[in-house]
Amino acid sequence: MWKLEMKERVLKLESGRDKDKLIAFLKTRGLTLDRDIQYAVAIEEEGRIVATGAFSGRVLKCIAVDEAYAGRGLSARIMNHLIREQYRRGRSRLFMFTKPKNKMIFSELGFHIVVETPTAVLLENRKDGLSRYLDEIGRECGYGDEVHVEELHTAGAVVVNGNPFTLGHRYLIEYAAARVQKLHVFVVWEDRSVFPQEIRYRLIEEGTRHLSNVVLHQGRDYIISDATFPSYFLKKDEDAAEVHAELDLTLFSRHIAPHLQITKRFVGEEPSCKVTRTYNRIMKKLLPAWEIEVEEVPRICNGQEAISASRVRELIRKGDVIAVKELVPETTYRFLQSPEAGEVIRCIRGGLR
Amino acid sequence: MKIKQTSIAGTLESSDISIAVEDNDGRGIEIELVSTVENQFGGQIRKVIRETLEGLGVKDVLVRANDKGALDCTIQARVKTAVGRAVDGNLRPWEEK
Repeated sequence: MWKLEMKERVLKLESGRDKDKLIAFLKTRGLTLDRDIQYAVAIEEEGRIVATGAFSGRVLKCIAVDEAYAGRGLSARIMNHLIREQYRRGRSRLFMFTKPKNKMIFSELGFHIVVETPTAVLLENRKDGLSRYLDEIGRECGYGDEVHVEELHTAGAVVVNGNPFTLGHRYLIEYAAARVQKLHVFVVWEDRSVFPQEIRYRLIEEGTRHLSNVVLHQGRDYIISDATFPSYFLKKDEDAAEVHAELDLTLFSRHIAPHLQITKRFVGEEPSCKVTRTYNRIMKKLLPAWEIEVEEVPRICNGQEAISASRVRELIRKGDVIAVKELVPETTYRFLQSPEAGEVIRCIRGGLR
Repeated sequence: MKIKQTSIAGTLESSDISIAVEDNDGRGIEIELVSTVENQFGGQIRKVIRETLEGLGVKDVLVRANDKGALDCTIQARVKTAVGRAVDGNLRPWEEK
């Protein structure tokens, strides 16, 4: 029987042979292997891959089946294997990417669409993940009663990673807060920066306390996360960046902005990072279609150079404390002087970003 | 009985059902069902899941069920196994009478 000849096998990604085989198969299906894949499984027939799937963190990806083998339940077998492995690792909250034409296959396997663009679909394994998040951020700014919402005229949004919070971030937030009645500041929640999420959040909170119309939110899974915008954290793949930026920004425009009545998004000009520049470019193209205005705010400078968190990290690495003091708010500086910062500073000196 | 950790049982193969259970933070029993036979048997599947949970004394749980046309006995078995994996100690309901 054909089914018995097909074996499931966990691929050894550290071995060149398995990896090349996987890359070659994905190529026939028009896919590439992401750099950050941690686990991959394949179904093989006589040593030849006929179906695969992989994941990185809680995001399932690279799920593909040989066309000649479609309709035999192979994608279900692959998904079953990946989900089981994720649960074994203690992850139950899962996301996945696919092409729009395949979305039905995965919604039948218990994945629900979060957002869709012409080129990609993001799904998650729970029905109300996004709506619970929206409820939560709505509550954070006391949008419980309708009257309040109607009174409000303009609301804006800023998204910051704040790794760590600098005078540049503060300038952007102050600039934006002065131009809208309420400013929603979303803190990137993915814990892939050298400053841990709670510390980034706390420094932003302390550094914006003087602005009464600023509301802080955790960006969680839905704003520049591993799920919505993985290339932000890979910082390399520019083709994928465009696809991901579109997903992330469509999710923002379609669900998050209307929920908080946001009509304007402010973003800092990006001088160097190509992925962020792609993101900003797509933002300016996409958001106006949803009647959200985009304003790119030039960075402020200290001396000749623009203030950026990467510059601050570079100075920390070099141990130039005096120079750091000129680039960050008092609150961030105080943190950097505290014993709590010891670990982070050691990591930066050790080469982490 | 308290759900201590998120667990899963069953597969996505035809005639099986995949049951994932997790703590529901005090919102009671909630069932999210996706089924290939939702229209004909959705109500019955939910009923079997709920009754099996109640039989086990589970009061607070979010169940994500993904059904591929499982029979009632399969549904019961998968729910019991998922709960067994989610609670502490030796819950082996199949050993009772």
